[in-house]
Amino acid sequence: MATAEIDVPKQGLPSLADANRDISRPISTPYKRYWLLLGICAALIAAAGVAWTIQIRDGMGRAGMNNPVNWGVYIVTFVFWVGIAHSGTLISAVLYLVRSGWRTTINRTAEAMTIFAVMTAGLFPLIHLGRVWYFYYLVPYPSTRLLWPNFRSPLVWDMFAIGTYFTISLVFWYLGLIPDLAVLRDRFTGIKKKLYGAFSLGWQGTVKDWSHYRRLYLYLAGIATPLVLSVHSVVSWDFAMGVVPGWHSTIFAPYFVAGAIFSGVAMVMTITIPLRWAFGLDRYITEYHFDNMAKLLLFTSLIVGYAYGMEYFLAWFSSDPIEMESFRWRASGFYAGPFWIMVFCNVVVPASLWFKRTRNSIKALFVISVFVNIGMWYERFVIIVTSLAHEFDPSAWQVYTPSLVEMTIMVGSFAWFFFWFLLFAKTLPVISIAEVKEHLAHEHEHGGH
Amino acid sequence: MSGILAQFDSLGATRKAIESLRQAGHSDMEVFAPFPTPELEEALGIISSPIRRWALIGGITGFMTAVALTGLTALAYPLVTQGKPILSWPAYFIIIFEMTILFTGLFGFLGVLYHMKKPGRLSPQYRTSFSVDRFGVYVLAAAGAEQSSIETLVRDAGAVEVELGV
Repeated sequence: MATAEIDVPKQGLPSLADANRDISRPISTPYKRYWLLLGICAALIAAAGVAWTIQIRDGMGRAGMNNPVNWGVYIVTFVFWVGIAHSGTLISAVLYLVRSGWRTTINRTAEAMTIFAVMTAGLFPLIHLGRVWYFYYLVPYPSTRLLWPNFRSPLVWDMFAIGTYFTISLVFWYLGLIPDLAVLRDRFTGIKKKLYGAFSLGWQGTVKDWSHYRRLYLYLAGIATPLVLSVHSVVSWDFAMGVVPGWHSTIFAPYFVAGAIFSGVAMVMTITIPLRWAFGLDRYITEYHFDNMAKLLLFTSLIVGYAYGMEYFLAWFSSDPIEMESFRWRASGFYAGPFWIMVFCNVVVPASLWFKRTRNSIKALFVISVFVNIGMWYERFVIIVTSLAHEFDPSAWQVYTPSLVEMTIMVGSFAWFFFWFLLFAKTLPVISIAEVKEHLAHEHEHGGH
Repeated sequence: MSGILAQFDSLGATRKAIESLRQAGHSDMEVFAPFPTPELEEALGIISSPIRRWALIGGITGFMTAVALTGLTALAYPLVTQGKPILSWPAYFIIIFEMTILFTGLFGFLGVLYHMKKPGRLSPQYRTSFSVDRFGVYVLAAAGAEQSSIETLVRDAGAVEVELGV
């Protein structure tokens, strides 16, 4: 294979051929640890499968939900994963539109994360449904009963928003993958060549093809940006459209979107830090990228912190005793623990990112990102459960604690997410080769001058 | 008629070759690149892509489909729920918005496949080095004097490999 270099490479800067080799190396290298991790994930998924089977066999009583609190861990985890999905599109679409160069090496991973997170989130409404085989009631199809979905319902909006989000993210991700699949097709032989060849659709990179590609990429980025904002807004309206105290608020849409980006960026860090280490991609994903992600994390943490404060202000300003009681109880009642975990993980811990030293320490960033993931799960728990448990009528107040079945399924959802991610990391380039080359070629040309 | 395939190892040289070929009157060529190159699109005179029409038609289709879906199904079973009007457009707008976006993206993707003529086979001029770091310029030309004049042209521009009669 021809491996001519473009000009003389700058010290330390990889050549275009290096990019091909380095980024596709994990695909052909066997790792024992990889299979171990995949096995652990598979076992946890199996455990969650057993838990779900028990729930289907015995009924929803197996979940810890009760009459006021009929949205529990399943809906909490659903919102959590939809939130995780958001930074993928943010990084790939919004940062593309504003021409932020630092997205280049992390966008593929972030987009893959989006797709797997939506796939994970999508399971939870089904699990929560109980009788999962009635799922098709949500789908608008001409039934013999002449009944159609109620398009005024936020739950139907949700289905359309998340369905569209999944499809568009998949198209966006696949479009970006096509040139890289062609790279793999040309690198491998035998069955791998055939498979990558089929999925690359016969891509040969003519300038005309690239022009169509670039145009659609721009359009997808353009439509994905309002789409991503709409998706978590719609999810927030699942709550805000109800008259439940603590939910019925106009700040919910921006509050949820900021929270989603916050948790999503944290998850990108939680994933890329070990990935970079395991696959030796230090030359491509550098401190510079993490510094920028850390700044984004800090910024969204400030928005989220502001929203926490603003919710209290609005409760007080409304002079509504029920609203005020709901928020008083949230911070000091039965669920004070989760509330303060949320504040600590999402506001206090990320504040350390004000310091450059923290932002430049990869280990510190990893720890902070895990804290944020935990904190954001608790945030959804606090919003959903405390509001339902403490509504209007004191005689209807009741607390909820998740059951073993629910927690097993929740843990299994993490395993399911990582399972798909591991498969992705071993079969597809985790960094966009074409974009890295574009970037490198320009660096080399400027270096030569 | 056969042609001539020149390989280059830098963007600048490829651009130079395209420009001098066009000046010499060879405007029908196929150029291969390992990464997106707005510079080469400009040199080849590719200004716009028909994808924008696909996206627009998709968007309009999605919009109309969703208006019909939400509006007509409400009229097909006109039952007042939650005290809201039968045609509750503010609520339906969310469905309309999502479907507009969905169809824009899907039509755009179909458009890209259509214009790239993909899925399809690789052309005989494709070389695997084009997915590494080489640029390729392929020009149809009659064997003999025409091909050798093109060969001088591309070699002057900095071609690193030239194949005749491909």
